[in-house]
Amino acid sequence: MSDYRTRIAAALEGGSRFAGLHVSGGSVHSALVSPDGAIRLESATVVEGRVASIVDLTPAANWDEREAHDVYGMRFDGHEPLRPLVDHDLDLRSWTVPVRGDDPYQVAVGPIHAGVIESGHFRFHVVGDRILQLDARLFYKHRGLERAVEGRTLAEGLPYAARACAACVVTNTVAYAQACEQILGLRPTTEVARARTILLELERLWNHLNDIGQICAGVGLAAGNMRFAALTERARRLNLELTGHRFLFGSVEVGGNAVEFESAAAREELAAIRAESESAWRELLFNASFSDRLPDVGVVSRDSALALGAVGPAARASGLVEDARTTSNLLAYDGFTTIVPHRAAGDVQARLEQRALEVQQTFDVLASLLAAPVVAAACEPSGNGRTVGAIRVESPRGATLCIVESSSRRVDRLRLRTGSYANWPIVAHAAAGNLLPDFPLINKSFELCYACADR
Amino acid sequence: MLTLLKDLRRLRRHLDLPAPDRARSLAVRHVDAGSCNGCEHELTLAASPHYDLARFGFGVVASPRHADVLLVTGTVTTRMHAPLLAAYNAMPEPRRVVALGDCALGCGVLGLESELVGPVEDVLPVDLRVPGCPPTPDAIAAALVELVG
Repeated sequence: MSDYRTRIAAALEGGSRFAGLHVSGGSVHSALVSPDGAIRLESATVVEGRVASIVDLTPAANWDEREAHDVYGMRFDGHEPLRPLVDHDLDLRSWTVPVRGDDPYQVAVGPIHAGVIESGHFRFHVVGDRILQLDARLFYKHRGLERAVEGRTLAEGLPYAARACAACVVTNTVAYAQACEQILGLRPTTEVARARTILLELERLWNHLNDIGQICAGVGLAAGNMRFAALTERARRLNLELTGHRFLFGSVEVGGNAVEFESAAAREELAAIRAESESAWRELLFNASFSDRLPDVGVVSRDSALALGAVGPAARASGLVEDARTTSNLLAYDGFTTIVPHRAAGDVQARLEQRALEVQQTFDVLASLLAAPVVAAACEPSGNGRTVGAIRVESPRGATLCIVESSSRRVDRLRLRTGSYANWPIVAHAAAGNLLPDFPLINKSFELCYACADR
Repeated sequence: MLTLLKDLRRLRRHLDLPAPDRARSLAVRHVDAGSCNGCEHELTLAASPHYDLARFGFGVVASPRHADVLLVTGTVTTRMHAPLLAAYNAMPEPRRVVALGDCALGCGVLGLESELVGPVEDVLPVDLRVPGCPPTPDAIAAALVELVG
């Protein structure tokens, strides 16, 4: 076994988890995150366009290696078949898993979906209503943001990270800013960390409220869907009032925090949203025709979640007790503890309950951090800086890895591996064995972004 | 369930949305041609209780064959070019195209030239442009109302 594989196998054995893989400068770099949140990069030199695959050691690297092949032409020895992921102009048989047997047929959905949904294609192999296998073909929205940013200054690169996705814009820009600050030898002060944590939790709040509403939509419960849509609207109006933008665009900067706002009115509105959301949630709990649709649907076992590299609420709903917020020493999550549902069954019900629990945590964190007004502040110098910044930030959909490589204060390479990117293969896994009409519900229980997977 | 419905009715009374003074309707098909998902999230909320686009007779339909309006978000990526044209070609006449959001209008677009075709107007005849990053639900509602005229 090559050194690279040995080191990765040892790290995984020692409790680290795979967090992303990218190509740069004639090497392949794998990010491994240890339980204390430290990120380590293990690298392999590319020889004649080839390196050893690690997909047998950690299936979570599956998409990363396929993307590295399609975008950078890398070959991975041992990754067979290496199916196309980002490449589209190819025969169906090249990117789908062959399904054989009596009566299997295919159902093709998308890239344009029936509702107001992002573009992506799902290829279901089914017998009757039963899904045998789902191949997701995304990257219809691939804009090449990671390559387009190369050569820009670190500050100019921020909008590229922002534009990847509106729903995770704070997460992606905080991760990018922190990675740049590592390069520049800066460290967020308490005040900068507090401002960013508030923004991150405001982002989580509207996302989780939206996602609970979307699960209601997934079973056709219009009353629940609209109730939570109204709450989402209130959360976005609060964002507008505090920062001038409903999605908090432009609120994160490299090197400090420029957003300022009073906190008393925000605390009051958050308390009102909390009371309303608790009442709406109680109503959902007592709606039998709704609750009956949720258990044992779209199950992801704890072992599968671990092997496939699930992150965020989806991983926690399967019983993985991990949350990048507990180890974010550059943010203000002191005393934050990971929460999992009492019944962490990894099904739609558990993922729904997980969000409801996390909304409560978010209200608590915001109530505590908004004790004082938010004021502008700069990061402070800390050490010499370096050429590679690597950061993990917990988005509403799970840990997002951002790696920035910079030798002369310009972006040589950006890798943004979002929570959605990590979790899309888990959606396909969760769908197998379920009924096709339950797929919208299963999909909504993850509620992943296409935009920040495609970039 | 009853409480949820009662809550919604109370919210509607509280918001006091004006009744529309027209009797026409529009069936809308949305196509995401390469957005950041911001326009989609705002379009979704345009149907929520605070705006209730349905009271103007607007509804999102599942198929372009049932649509009067094609609402396009995002700058057009190379991979969404053909699906976008297919959706447009499936629509019956008369049909209208709305370019929703700054990216669809070609403003401030980021990305690799080789991955992007261009703004919606490079691909389809655009009848209405709705700026914004993203346009707010009220801006979307106002634009669609204008389209009905």
